[in-house]
Amino acid sequence: MIGIIANPASGKDIRRLVAQGTVFDNMEKVNIIQRILVVLHEAGVNDIRMMPDSFHIMDSAVEALHRGLRIDVNVTELEMECEYNQGDSANAAALMKNMGAQCIITLGGDGTNRSVAKGCGDVPLIPLSTGTNNVFPKMIEGTVAGMAAAVVELDSERAYVQTRRCKRLCIYKNGELVDMALIDAVVTADRFIGARAIWEPDAIKEIFVTSARTDSIGMSAIAGYFHPISETDPKGLYIRTGVGGGFSIRAPIAPGMIQEIPIELVRELKPGERTAIHTAEGMLALDGEREVSFKKGDTVEIGLGHDGPFVVEVEQTLASAARGNFFVRRN
Amino acid sequence: MKLTNNELIGLYRDMVYIRQFETRVQELFAAGVLPGFIHLGIGQEACMAGTCFNLVDGDIIGATHREHGVLLCRGVEGKAIMAELYGKVTGTCKGKGGSMHACGLKQGALGNNAILGPAQTIVNGFAYAHKFRKNGKVAVTMFGDGASNRGEFHEGINFASIWNLPSIYIINNNGYAISVPKSKQQKVEDLSARAAGYGIPGVQIDGNDIITVVETVSEAVKRAREGGGPSLIELKTYRWRGHFEGDPTPYRTNEELESWKKKDPIARFEKILTDQGITTKKDFGTINAEVKAKVDECQKFAEDSPWPPMSEIYTDVYYHNEGSVQQ
Repeated sequence: MIGIIANPASGKDIRRLVAQGTVFDNMEKVNIIQRILVVLHEAGVNDIRMMPDSFHIMDSAVEALHRGLRIDVNVTELEMECEYNQGDSANAAALMKNMGAQCIITLGGDGTNRSVAKGCGDVPLIPLSTGTNNVFPKMIEGTVAGMAAAVVELDSERAYVQTRRCKRLCIYKNGELVDMALIDAVVTADRFIGARAIWEPDAIKEIFVTSARTDSIGMSAIAGYFHPISETDPKGLYIRTGVGGGFSIRAPIAPGMIQEIPIELVRELKPGERTAIHTAEGMLALDGEREVSFKKGDTVEIGLGHDGPFVVEVEQTLASAARGNFFVRRN
Repeated sequence: MKLTNNELIGLYRDMVYIRQFETRVQELFAAGVLPGFIHLGIGQEACMAGTCFNLVDGDIIGATHREHGVLLCRGVEGKAIMAELYGKVTGTCKGKGGSMHACGLKQGALGNNAILGPAQTIVNGFAYAHKFRKNGKVAVTMFGDGASNRGEFHEGINFASIWNLPSIYIINNNGYAISVPKSKQQKVEDLSARAAGYGIPGVQIDGNDIITVVETVSEAVKRAREGGGPSLIELKTYRWRGHFEGDPTPYRTNEELESWKKKDPIARFEKILTDQGITTKKDFGTINAEVKAKVDECQKFAEDSPWPPMSEIYTDVYYHNEGSVQQ
């Protein structure tokens, strides 16, 4: 069984106003889902489950395929109570895991995948980027994602499928594990969740990243422009901002937005080690969204773990399948 | 965005004022006291209070008949608004406009446009004047998802875009155009996406979270004041009452209504304020009591005010023949 989780809310936040982010219309998500479904249908995958959403992305895609291509895809919506918030993605992922999903295709940004990761367990993800500052999901054509998902579903011997386990950041508040992040956890001076995104450099106090990338934007880029760390490197990076370090980094913190960030301290994060945050009160933004507030007296620690979700290595999986003649049809 | 405790408490007070004012209007209309037609904005308080927070003297806002709260938040006297709803001579339009036309021109509140759609072009005139005068002021229009299907919306936003006007288009997307659900009015669900067709930024946010509304509108206003041009903000919200008072709402379920009541913008803000140690439950009680006294005063003022005299029946009605129209 293949699961699909498409976040109807991704790609629409305030960064379209304060930066140069573009609106990711849900009709484009419908188009992507259509491309995925066509491929799965052609491959003979008959058990596809989708998370319900307020936009009825699945219905729109199925209807368009029926009307335009005369293709009737066998896809069903999960039976679940929706709150129409990020908790739906976690709940849908958990349901798909329990139903024996071979993989879950996600459409969203880092935040969407963070929610999915809370519920998917060991089911590997194929994350497609439809958010804003995306590091975790990739810009993969829906057709290609469908091909990779078909290989995962049909390669029961696991001869071709290649997966990678991701790093994650575990958030501990007063000793208790309260949340997680896949790419970055940022300590900000904000008092409220509000518009969620981070775009004001002065608000950024401390940055924790699982990977520090020069080919991304956002917090990972700030870290990456000083000390690159790949997704497969076991380490992470910690940065404390401030003028005490005597230098600053110019980095793209949002689409089309370059800002100068003064750096006070940079240190590598080791797996299993917990780092206490330095700031007395504020908010923690996880994968780009303000989520967890803390006050004076709270102890907040962040640890780097290697127990994040699995992802399907799309290119390697398809290449491996091709080398094994998976796509060859003898006449 | 940094907000002081006084500003936060002020936002709470504004939302409570809208809720209590509208609830009183609901009761008075049900009792047969108020004439005419009434559309209430209960449930959409954060959209109105959060938007108006970012406006200053000289800015313009043109809303619809559901936004009595915009008038309250822009500083139009509640007494004058209530008197207008009563049809009394002390009302904002001397009792001749009622709910559909109450306004506060001195406060830049163009009034509740009874026809949905035209305000999306009218504000551009003000926006053009602001731009021409280089005064850094903005013109805001607030309307619903249904009005965003009208030609005026598309004409207005295109005009604002091509002339780079300081216009801000705010859609209170409450899911229904009168009784028609959004799934039957628009192929696209995200109205913010329509901005892309006009080459301007479009943002979709939770309209029931006042901090989000304040932050987002603040950025749009800042952009417009600095010459960055128009933007479109879609506020996801819900009206607790029907389209109009008396609407039995057969087009929606109680479950849907109850699920949105759980997202009550006032209750959510109370939790934020108490979690942050800014206010206590006692403070909420005090503010609510003060607001109730204020709304009581509005009602009493309206009740005690005189009706317009018969001799004035045509005054202010026809522009060229003021006071001289023969019966």
